[in-house]
Amino acid sequence: MRNLQANYKKLEEADTQVVGVSMDSPFANKAFGDSLNVTFPIASDWFDEGATTKAYGLWDPKYKAARRATFLVGKDGKIEEIQADREAVDPTKIVTACERKKKG
Amino acid sequence: MRNHAIHALLLLVALAAVLSAPAVRPLRADEKEKPAPLKLKVGDTAPDFTLKYFDGAKLQDVSLHEFRGKKNVVVAFFVFAFTGG
Repeated sequence: MRNLQANYKKLEEADTQVVGVSMDSPFANKAFGDSLNVTFPIASDWFDEGATTKAYGLWDPKYKAARRATFLVGKDGKIEEIQADREAVDPTKIVTACERKKKG
Repeated sequence: MRNHAIHALLLLVALAAVLSAPAVRPLRADEKEKPAPLKLKVGDTAPDFTLKYFDGAKLQDVSLHEFRGKKNVVVAFFVFAFTGG
């Protein structure tokens, strides 16, 4: 989250909205976002018991939690980049992809 | 005689410890880093969602389809609030 926020301006300039998703309650997410000065919404996948997390194939039954992953979804709704697990901590690949799209 | 019994017992305990060690051995880093393949891949249509977030005053909806044709969306899943990244 922190790394995405650090790149938020770049992403915004490249026509990109950031949406965080976690399985915590919206209030926990808001507190978390505030603690990092996050300005994008952190949505809660809590009410539907992780339905979105499962739809994206990120539900890990072993840990009863989501796997970390970042998806770049284009304006056409198609997935353009995926960063999963440890790789997802650093969003550089996705930021670069957005900027490339903007130029191209 | 008694000494023998104690020795045999110690040997058994030591043997049991050696045999059970691999089971409790912490996973090495490379074993942990064997992530299952993801269900979705590049080029797939991202599953739509409508989820709630708290804007500080009230709960709001955010959905993927509201950005269709307007903006790219970075959908960032993370494990729980207050985890890194």
